[in-house]
Amino acid sequence: MDRSLRSRLEARLGDYLRAPVYQRNDETEIRIDPGAVPEVLRLLHDSVDLRFEILADLAGVDTGEVMQVVYHLWSPMSFDWLRIVADGLSRDDPRAPSATFLWIGAEWLEREAYDMFGIIFEGNRDLRRIFMPPDYTSFPLRKDFLLPDDAARSPGGGVRHVERTHAPATLADDPKAGIRRAPVS
Amino acid sequence: MPAPQHPPRPQTARPAASAASPASAASPASKGARRTRRPAERQPSLDDPRIMLDRQISSDLYEPIPPYPTRTEREAEFYTLGDGEMFLNVGPHHPATHGVLRLVLKLSGEQIVDVDPVLGYLHRGVEKICENSDYYHVIDQVDPLEYLSSLFQEWPAVLSFEKLMDVEVPRRAEYIRVLSGELLRISSHILYMGFLALDLGGLTPILYGFIERDEIVEMLAALTGARMLFNYFRIGGVNGDLNHEFMSRLGDWMSRAGRQTEANAGLLNENEIFVRRMRGVGTLDRATALSYGVTGGNLRASGVPFDVRRAHPYSIYPELEFNIPTRDEGDSLARYLIRVDEIRESLKIIDQCLHNMPDGPVMAKLPRLLRPRPGRAWGAVEGPRGMLGVYAISDGSDQPFRFRIHDPSFVNLETVTTLLPGHLLADTMAVVASLDPVMGGIDK
Amino acid sequence: MAVVDRGSKGRAAAAKATPAGAKAAGNRQVVAVTPGQLAAPIIVPNTLWQSSNPLAYDGGRPTDVTHLREFGQTDAGRNDAVRWGALQVIPTNADYILDLIRANSLWPLLSGLACCAFEMMSAATSKNDMDRWGMFPFRASPRQADVLIVAGTLTTKMSGPLVRLWEQMPEPKWCVALGDCTVSGGRYKRSYSVVQGIDRVMPVDVYIPGCPPRPEGLIYGMLQLGQLVKDRRGHWNEREIGPTVPDDI
Repeated sequence: MDRSLRSRLEARLGDYLRAPVYQRNDETEIRIDPGAVPEVLRLLHDSVDLRFEILADLAGVDTGEVMQVVYHLWSPMSFDWLRIVADGLSRDDPRAPSATFLWIGAEWLEREAYDMFGIIFEGNRDLRRIFMPPDYTSFPLRKDFLLPDDAARSPGGGVRHVERTHAPATLADDPKAGIRRAPVS
Repeated sequence: MPAPQHPPRPQTARPAASAASPASAASPASKGARRTRRPAERQPSLDDPRIMLDRQISSDLYEPIPPYPTRTEREAEFYTLGDGEMFLNVGPHHPATHGVLRLVLKLSGEQIVDVDPVLGYLHRGVEKICENSDYYHVIDQVDPLEYLSSLFQEWPAVLSFEKLMDVEVPRRAEYIRVLSGELLRISSHILYMGFLALDLGGLTPILYGFIERDEIVEMLAALTGARMLFNYFRIGGVNGDLNHEFMSRLGDWMSRAGRQTEANAGLLNENEIFVRRMRGVGTLDRATALSYGVTGGNLRASGVPFDVRRAHPYSIYPELEFNIPTRDEGDSLARYLIRVDEIRESLKIIDQCLHNMPDGPVMAKLPRLLRPRPGRAWGAVEGPRGMLGVYAISDGSDQPFRFRIHDPSFVNLETVTTLLPGHLLADTMAVVASLDPVMGGIDK
Repeated sequence: MAVVDRGSKGRAAAAKATPAGAKAAGNRQVVAVTPGQLAAPIIVPNTLWQSSNPLAYDGGRPTDVTHLREFGQTDAGRNDAVRWGALQVIPTNADYILDLIRANSLWPLLSGLACCAFEMMSAATSKNDMDRWGMFPFRASPRQADVLIVAGTLTTKMSGPLVRLWEQMPEPKWCVALGDCTVSGGRYKRSYSVVQGIDRVMPVDVYIPGCPPRPEGLIYGMLQLGQLVKDRRGHWNEREIGPTVPDDI
């Protein structure tokens, strides 16, 4: 729990923060708008008192209401992990700026987020599917892609002939139908 | 609102896959009511010579790579051939045993101009399955990702769950975790050395490596019950104390381990062919390594002393004395030598664990049905290939809401697009093997 | 291929062997056993799979014995004896001898996809040596291989290349499904991208369950395959392939 990190973040990023800096155990979390991602990442990376040079993770999250892109960074100046939540991407047309201008490694991580969620990263030169075959039509980790006991019955699954073993059932039959929504957070 | 405007869908052109269609199962059975699927009754395969004679060897027989119009800038740039260039597909099935990785190489003669790695041939949907399993099952599901170091897959999951639930792990359990983890790290590094040599053509070190690996894995089987996918760590500890068989096997092995690892490393360290094929090949400099997000031995070989065990210590690593080998050159040989040094460090750690092993319980008391409070947690450990991280979101139910696994081999493999161009075809294997990718983890 | 059924005989035998007080979790005592004290092997009746060809195995069931040492001493294990019926001698003489040759030198194709590949490699390396039965050269090219050991999870994206590999292998060829993922989808039963058992895309001769199966299990499966090769006596085309998967699964 790094108190000085909190004050440094608030000093540097005051305007960009959409929620108070949240600290728990050994993690510090900040929330920003997706449009502010390039500036915030640039500030975090270049500032001499912050120096978050190591990109630990870039993940997409589907909360059921909105989508988020979550970055985890590490800096030699602080013990905590820093989590940046770019909150508020709509589920119908999720777009976020790409972090590839700063970390080349973000390219594949963003491809994975696109493949799993459909989040379009503007500025990524190579936004195509990375895990699923290139002609796959669904985005598997979305909350409306259901995973019942037989993948072929999922409305999103069974795209390839080897998955489809019988006609897909309707959502009404499935006990787990309905999007699972995240709690207020 | 309109549908998301993702890039236009390509055409499907997969004759190989459709040849295996189960639609032919409806063909009339010749011998009574037989329900087996007879391979001879499907449509003739592409390799039937009669087909070859009838058709021109044109672009519709061998589908163009990629078999759909290119959609992204990088794809267009890659799949446009310059003068005298050709594509070579190091396909998903190839004898370099890192798994099912497909590298499309653009060659000009024998020199590699560009490379496009294609992943996903082992994508099993683990993250989605984990969202539909309870917390204990998640630990089991996450094992086969990096199957060579299963315990390191379970560790960040368990760490992040313990942060979500504020569970304190007993010290003995921490020591056992570190002990078994370091054993597995040694096994993984020994196999790394073996496969590196195998990819370069040396058939002996892999056999030596498998002898060591078999011994380590048998002792871990005595401890955990399984040879590979251990399912041993639990939230709040480990699943079972040390037992007599494990300790006797461990003692046996430790008495020879030092000499044995020196002998195994000696097979390769001074082998002129090996060294000359690896020195200066695939040099990853410091700035590029940081900007790729590379972690682990590959980053330390490029001069950045980042080891999660020291940078952000977890478990009992603050109490243990060990060094972090770092080198500056950043070439494949440096990556190899770092792993050899790490084996020695791990032996030191195992020694310390055995000497300082405290008594006590091996698992915290937890309810059977785990329902953490809603929240988010990130846990990261240092695996043999780099930093393994897990980001877990809990929504108060007995299943994680989002279980994100960050795998080090994924980002490590990404560097191949910068490391390979400029080298010769034969260096492909040296570079890829020195990065130590495990496709199970890359493809999740 | 056989589920170990801890029947009453097995339980009683096991209870006699362990001394009292060794029940503490994680503290199994190693009991020294002299060779004369070995318990009788557990005999597991093979009730799970039955060939749909009524003529296979002489109209009965495959043998009940699953222990390798006893297997070799039974008639099923010594099945090289030729049955001099007229119909069997005349059309298939050469194929019969060739089958004997093939059974003793099955060359596998390196098709290691995931974790089971490591148990396959472990079975091929020094400690459990598959070379004893002629299976050492793991061919990289399908044109030179006899057996396709599918070791590891088959995903939908990989199914195309794998079926292509199978088609490229020249006949006679056999297929071994190693590990739970290839047998039935295994732990990925609910996954959206895993083929639920490779017998959906290719014909399988031997199934080896386990996650991952021990190298000894793989060796046992390969020996069973050798036995199947000899059993079929040259009628490779009409061999029965695996338990059939009903259409509604």
